[in-house]
Parts: sequence; structure tokens; C-alpha cells
Amino acid sequence: MKRNILVVAAVLATLGIMIWAGVSNYRRQQREQANLKRLQAMIEATEPAGTTANDDEALEENPLQGKMAPEFTLTDTKGQKVSLADYKGKAVVVDFWATWCAPCKIEIPWLEQFKNQYGGQGLAVLGISEDDLDLDNKSELAKEKQQIANTAEQLKINYPVLYDDANVSTPYGGVDGLPTTFFIDRSGKVVASTVGLAPREQIEADIKKALGNGGGAS
Amino acid sequence: MRLLWCALLLGATSLAGAQKLPWQGRMVGASIETKAPQHVQYLFPEQISVAAGKDAVIEMHFRVNPGMHINSHTPREKWLIATRLNVVETPAMKIGAVDFPAGEDYALASMPNDKLSVYTGEFVVRVHIVSRPGQHILRGALRYQACDANSCYPPREAPVAVDVIAK
Repeated sequence: MKRNILVVAAVLATLGIMIWAGVSNYRRQQREQANLKRLQAMIEATEPAGTTANDDEALEENPLQGKMAPEFTLTDTKGQKVSLADYKGKAVVVDFWATWCAPCKIEIPWLEQFKNQYGGQGLAVLGISEDDLDLDNKSELAKEKQQIANTAEQLKINYPVLYDDANVSTPYGGVDGLPTTFFIDRSGKVVASTVGLAPREQIEADIKKALGNGGGAS
Repeated sequence: MRLLWCALLLGATSLAGAQKLPWQGRMVGASIETKAPQHVQYLFPEQISVAAGKDAVIEMHFRVNPGMHINSHTPREKWLIATRLNVVETPAMKIGAVDFPAGEDYALASMPNDKLSVYTGEFVVRVHIVSRPGQHILRGALRYQACDANSCYPPREAPVAVDVIAK
């Protein structure tokens, strides 16, 4: 009799675990589907109407060249919502980077200097961290965000640093090599981009291009 | 009693589906791009014979693509992502120490004074195992973060599988 009770209790406990696991799986799938839908909506909303690239070479280099920069709204390390649309009328540098990326840490101080130098002319810089974020685990997510914020502070970054918790990198071409930097003009079009650490002079030329001050092509 | 074991087995299977394994990609971030090319390849062995019940060593050979480097197991800066090996231990095969080679010095052209500890070309990771008699598969993945001279790429996992025959 005792043995039967034990067996029934164990089966019930196991069933409970199975139900919990099933519910967890279902919830995770729902979250993933919601993320995917949001991403697809974002891609559709930002699908450019036409191509106005200056030359074929630029088109080959980056499919976004001459097109409207994909819109995004992300949270920065200070907890503020930041949208690309907030910078309408400004030239914007969008820099995808990560805390583990050594070349990014060479480029970032240059961007800080350019922000100081050209900010008065209407230049804004946004850093988007491509560090992994575990959305399933709140405490891990908090640690990961804190690490990004700490790194931004150590590097004395003087522009907003955003957490990419919505896979914004995907509509920007599925950013792989870091740093990847986009230069967006005052009308919102991508006028240049660089993958990997570009020479400082090229970055400055691309910034001038975005500002409408001329400069070299990327 | 048989029902109990069936239920436990099913429960364990459901749990495995609900939880992420250590090397599985996270939901967002650069490293979730699963179709991205590998920068490190597992070379060999595909099969190894060992003495059952005794400490044995599998020398896993990997190759980093030309022009690339990956952080060693002991990078000099704590913000760099160390190379590590995740392997699945089973009741039939116990995993002991995993020995990584020392890294070699490397410096970016734009930071000549900052030496990184990296692996390039071919390198060997030694995995200590103790197996029960029989044929077992050792599965795992090498997690690494690669860079070239100007770019760094998100952490990736190079899968490994070794057929272990223990006699």
C-alpha cells in the first residue's frame, strides 16, 4: 500500500514537472514569435521605396547605401528610449559595437572626438551594443546590461549607447563583423558605411558627407 | 514501478526541451546568427580507441581560418571572450580536465603595444576521459570569438563529435 502511494506521488510530481516544462516551452515560443513579428513589422515599415545610390560600387558594398536607414527604438544605458526618428534633421552615425571587440575600442574614442568636433554642426552619434542579451533570464540580462553600461562608462562614451534587445542589426544587414558603422544624412538616408575598423580619415570624410559638407566616398 | 520510470524519462525529456544547453545561442545579440560561417574547424580525431575504466586523453585538433585569430583560453583582458570547450558528460563517459595550449602574442596594427593572447592556425585541446566498456559518442562544441586584422566576429560554437571505443 505504502509503495503504491509512493508511486502515485512520484507520478503526480513528474506530471507536474512535465506540465511546468510544457508551459515554459510554450511561453518561450510565444515570446520568440512575438519578437519575430515585431522584427518583420519593422522590416516592412522601413522597406525603402527606391534606390538612389550614387554608384554601382556603393550598391555592391552595402545594400542600404542610398536608402532610408531602418527605423528603430531601443533603450539606452541610462534607461531612456531612443529612436532614430528623434534625430530627424541631423546627421547620425550609427555604430554597432560590442564590449568584446578590440577594434571597436579604437574607433569609439574617434567617434567621441568627432561628436565634440561636429556636434555643433548637427552630428549625432548612437552606439548600438551587439553583446548577447538573455531575455529569458532577468538576473542574467541585468548583469549583461550592467556590463555594457560599465564598459561605456570606462570608455567615457559621450553619446547614447543602446541595448539591441530587438535585433535591430538584422534590418541593417545582419551585422556580423564589428565595428560596423553607418553614416546617415539629414534626410535619413544612408550615405556611407564601413565594416571593420576604417582609417580615421575615412570616418571623418563619411561624417562630412552625412553632414552635407562633402568629403570622400566610402 | 515501470510507469514511474517512464514518467521520469518523459519528464526529463520535456525539461531538456525547456532549458538551453550551455552552448546554445541566446535570444538576441550578435552570436545568434546561426548561418554565419565558422572561423574555426574541428579537424580530428573522428574515432578513438581507449582502455575502458582508465584515464585516457583525446587530443582534439582544431584549425583557425587563415588571417583570423581567436582569443586563447586565458586572454589577458577580462573583457575578452575566452575559448572554451563544452562537452556532454554521460554515465558511460566521465569528463576530466580539459587542457588548452598557451596562447601566442598578437597585436593589432593600430594598438601595437597591447598584446593579445590568441590561437592561430592549428591548435590542440586535450580532453581527459574515463569510459565504460562500449562505444560512445563524445559530443560538444568549441566556443570561440574570432577577429581578423580590422573586425571582430560574434562568439560561435564549432561542433565536435568523437566516436570513443572503450575496450
